[in-house]
Amino acid sequence: MTPTGCLAVVPALTHNTLVVAAGVAAVGCAAGVVGSLSLLRKRPLIGDAAAHSTLVGVATAFVLTGRRDLPTLLTGALVAAVAGLATLVLVRRFTRTRDDAATAIVIGVGFGLGIALLSGITARGLPGSAGLEQFLLGHTAALTARDAVVLGIVSVATVTVVLLGLKEATLVAFDADFAAATGWPVGLIDQALVTLVAVRVVVGLPAAGAVRVTALVVSPPVAARQWTDRVPTLLVLGGVFGLVAAVAGVAVSAVVPRMPTGPLVVLSAAAICIVSLVIAPRRGWLARRRQRIAFEPPRS
Amino acid sequence: MNMVLADWSIDGATAMHAWAIATAATVAAACALVGTLLVVRRMSLLGDAIGHAVLPGIAVAVLVGGRPGSPLVFAAAVATGLLTVWLTRLVRSAGGLADDAGTGVVFTTLFALGVVIVTAAASRVDIDPSCLLYGILELVPFDTVSIGGVEVPRGFVSAAIVLAVLAAAAIATWKLQVFTAFDADAARAAGVPVAAVTGGLLAATALATVAGFEVVGAVLVVAMLVVPAAAAELLVRRLHHMALVAMVLAIVGACLGYLAAWRWNASAAGMIAVVLGIEYAAAVVLAPDDGLVARGLGRLRYAWRVLCEDRLAAVWRAEEKGTAAAVPVSLVQRLAVGWLWLTGRFVGPAGRLALSPAGRREAEMVVRSHRLWEAWLGQHAQLPLDHLHPPAEWVEHHLGAAMRQRIEAEVGGIGDPHGSEIPPEA
Repeated sequence: MTPTGCLAVVPALTHNTLVVAAGVAAVGCAAGVVGSLSLLRKRPLIGDAAAHSTLVGVATAFVLTGRRDLPTLLTGALVAAVAGLATLVLVRRFTRTRDDAATAIVIGVGFGLGIALLSGITARGLPGSAGLEQFLLGHTAALTARDAVVLGIVSVATVTVVLLGLKEATLVAFDADFAAATGWPVGLIDQALVTLVAVRVVVGLPAAGAVRVTALVVSPPVAARQWTDRVPTLLVLGGVFGLVAAVAGVAVSAVVPRMPTGPLVVLSAAAICIVSLVIAPRRGWLARRRQRIAFEPPRS
Repeated sequence: MNMVLADWSIDGATAMHAWAIATAATVAAACALVGTLLVVRRMSLLGDAIGHAVLPGIAVAVLVGGRPGSPLVFAAAVATGLLTVWLTRLVRSAGGLADDAGTGVVFTTLFALGVVIVTAAASRVDIDPSCLLYGILELVPFDTVSIGGVEVPRGFVSAAIVLAVLAAAAIATWKLQVFTAFDADAARAAGVPVAAVTGGLLAATALATVAGFEVVGAVLVVAMLVVPAAAAELLVRRLHHMALVAMVLAIVGACLGYLAAWRWNASAAGMIAVVLGIEYAAAVVLAPDDGLVARGLGRLRYAWRVLCEDRLAAVWRAEEKGTAAAVPVSLVQRLAVGWLWLTGRFVGPAGRLALSPAGRREAEMVVRSHRLWEAWLGQHAQLPLDHLHPPAEWVEHHLGAAMRQRIEAEVGGIGDPHGSEIPPEA
């Protein structure tokens, strides 16, 4: 890169990129922490169900209020995400339908309803309705400083809640039956975890979009799991990986023209994940391969 | 743009809508067929994963010169779908992960990769990622091929071929699929090539997903794969019935969804998913055995029977003692008495009701069950006398004639522990 090229990049990095980076970093970090818990609870894809339900809330919030600022739409999205996950819980409780099918039903029907509402709004040309569907794919670059502050505050709040309830959440994640038998309100704790995931997903929406926010909740924790068997370390690593992926994604999209931030954040998270799967000590592919070779008798 | 079937007697617009509906219904039927097996094998989220993950495959195929909708792009998408499945298993085994986690990592990554490719090559690849999510059912009739002089939408042709292939494969291998789905270990032991059967299902899923993906978009394929099958599972018990019911539900959902979208000017793909969701909700509520209504009615019917039998027994006991029958106090008790009078088990004017012969027989059987159970408990459970009544009060509604005979044989024809006589079997 020529010196002038560098100079051209530096101003681009100054304000907007820094704001976006801060917001997305907070989101990535908190998503990694909360995602680690839902990975331990063996429900990594509830985030996907929540993410796909949010569109209904975005569309409804817009129709009801006529406003399209971030807090309004996010509130709608949060209500819808919690409603979607509540539907999931109800389907599990009252029908024979299996867990995975219930998740798929919430994903497919929730998203379909959202699309039907959004397309109806767009077709009627309500004022300000253009671009609502951007929520689907996320438009990180359009984040304002105020949005970033909102994202940061919510992220700090969710991480705080996780730290306060860590003992209970760990207990339920590792042995729900024991927790129930010793008198812990397992249903309530699960509900809290599900709500946290919904909050994470909703906060991640403006940064990554409905489709890819799932990756933020799944990939960093999967990577972190490779490096440790201890819950606190898992949470810290999940958070750090999420943060690194977010910052890397934002940085690359700032340097490479026309590259969307959301997918790059996801790909960064995936890269961390792949590297972890291969080189992590003990659980990684290389380590296990070495172990296998060490145990095999030498061939003559 | 080709005007489709302009020479038909119905006008062009109606023909367009008819073609779009036919395409949606065909895709829905194909998805529901595959979805039935996915649902019973707990692989429902596979369609979600494949639907997202085929984006980079399609993008690359278009980049090297394939026309959207052409067989090359179709094949690339199916290949990417299979690659997704393979990668998911690789990640899962490499990381020792739950299945869902591997799926989540792989499909989100591939989708992001696809978006990056599409964005990077935007000048050469005319793909709109949101279009891949929404689907373009409304545009299907505009892209036609000529078959025997008739202009047929390309989407319909590929969907019909996929449906025919899947239906033929399903008919040919159904028994193996069922065996593998319900007990893979037993199937393997019996010599079924389980890996090949599962591989065939995965390939079928990729085919159906890609066919659906072109019509209704990535996420809604999930709805078409899973929702009708899950609804059918609540309605019927046999697997082949489930497949047929799922296909019917899917076709009905596709037609109604399209019409609803037309009526309210909304996305057809979205409305189809909504209608499928309504069908599932209806199945949850109305299913003959497991539905909320059926279960609720069953409980109501039971509560009502208990109420009526208790009234009959109360009057019978009052007659036995020569006292006045206990006057019903609650509203439901009055209702029960009214019902018993209407159905001829009580006779006489209000206030001085007496048992009819039929009512007397019924009451005697309830009291007989009650006292036999008390006698049995008194002999076998060593309960104090004042603890015998409550369990008998419950059991009296559940004993049949055969069970009463056996208990009577065992307690040996003595009276009940409180000294009352046990009425004989009717």
